[in-house]
Amino acid sequence: MAGLVGRLDRIRHANAWLFGTMLFSSCLSLLASFVLSVDAITLAADPTAALSCNINAVISCGTVGSSWQSNLFGFPNAFLGLIAEPVVITMAVASLGGVRFPRWFMFAAQIVYTLGLVFAYWLFYQSMFHIGALCPWCLLVTVSTTLVFSTLTHVNIRDGNLFLPPRMQSALAAAVRANLDLMIVVIWMLVLVLAIAVKYGDLLFG
Amino acid sequence: MSKEARIKTRELRQAQMAAARRRNRVRLAGGVVIVGLLVAIIAVVVNAASNGDAVSNGDSSPNSASGQLVTPANLTDAGAIPVGQAAAPVTLEIYLDYMCPACGKFEQANSGEIDRLVKAGTVKVHLRPISFLDRASKGSKYSTRAANAMATVADRAPESVWAFNTELFNQQPEEGTRGLSDEQIAELALKAGVSRDVADAFTERTFERWVANTTDAAFKSGLQGTPTIKINGTVFEGNVYASGPLTQAIEAAAGGTR
Repeated sequence: MAGLVGRLDRIRHANAWLFGTMLFSSCLSLLASFVLSVDAITLAADPTAALSCNINAVISCGTVGSSWQSNLFGFPNAFLGLIAEPVVITMAVASLGGVRFPRWFMFAAQIVYTLGLVFAYWLFYQSMFHIGALCPWCLLVTVSTTLVFSTLTHVNIRDGNLFLPPRMQSALAAAVRANLDLMIVVIWMLVLVLAIAVKYGDLLFG
Repeated sequence: MSKEARIKTRELRQAQMAAARRRNRVRLAGGVVIVGLLVAIIAVVVNAASNGDAVSNGDSSPNSASGQLVTPANLTDAGAIPVGQAAAPVTLEIYLDYMCPACGKFEQANSGEIDRLVKAGTVKVHLRPISFLDRASKGSKYSTRAANAMATVADRAPESVWAFNTELFNQQPEEGTRGLSDEQIAELALKAGVSRDVADAFTERTFERWVANTTDAAFKSGLQGTPTIKINGTVFEGNVYASGPLTQAIEAAAGGTR
């Protein structure tokens, strides 16, 4: 038992696992962004295409796609995913192949991806509390963005890429070694599930 | 090993043990949070599932419409709200939700034509207002309130049904907002020619149970979404968001039965 836990622990902190997870999640994100982009184009070409209010889906009436929040910068948000996720995929593949990126590169990736994460959660919040609809593909973006963020942060803390003060760096590195980051991600995901269940439980399971 | 070195080693080990204890405390706290969240999720899901059953069994639960089932007068045998001459050769059945933006688009495109065909005696309309978009009005249950108002009008001022339907769509609130207030809905009814005492009766919510039952029945009949348009009982598959295709289909159906 202890041997198994130890082995799993080593796997979790190994590059293959971390960048593998990052690759998998960023591919999911890219897929979702692609589907959402195609939807957005269809919707733009024919505003009635996505209309008709479907009864069974929690998503209502193509509302998410046609809200101002989903075109915050004047074009569909999903385009951002199409631009950004291939970079993450390239980074993950190169790292799996043994490439070590310079510190400044990983640091910049962390900053940009953190902005992406903030944006993803702002959208999640908007769709939960202001648009009143959930779309499964948007949710996939939220989840996979979280996973990419957590693996990227894990790598950057482990490798000391974040230009942190030494004490903070060693404290965070110790926390990551003790798998506290995993705990945080699990709690975070469960909070998401709980929020969705509370808000949409009657519709999903009723 | 010198005494100093031993003391240092011991201090180091103590520090390590303290760190391990701290880690374990954090892990324990995290574990408790995770278990708590899991329990909460299960509780919410189970609760939601049993609520859903209660609604479909017709039991009264906090989520289902309260009160007795009161069916509006003047309905068709099949329980729809009729508009136009009963002798008209074509029946146009419209499933709608007053919160549904697509239904608003349908109305914008077709309400003028339908009005013309009703007046010409070509078509009679059977309205079926349902309330599944209650979820999209931030708890104000706009769909139910609007459908209840429509049922009240059908019950006590049937000649104003079509005008009221048109008003509700002209002033349709945006999906995801609280919708129109009861007072605003009453104002629209007055504009449609409904008398003050009938409009005041909207807040009695007499037909909420009927609306809930109609919605349930519509789901069970396999309704996929709104608007759903049926011509003489057959779902119309053409473009309902442009003026023209529906008119042609109605006229074709009328030609066929003549």
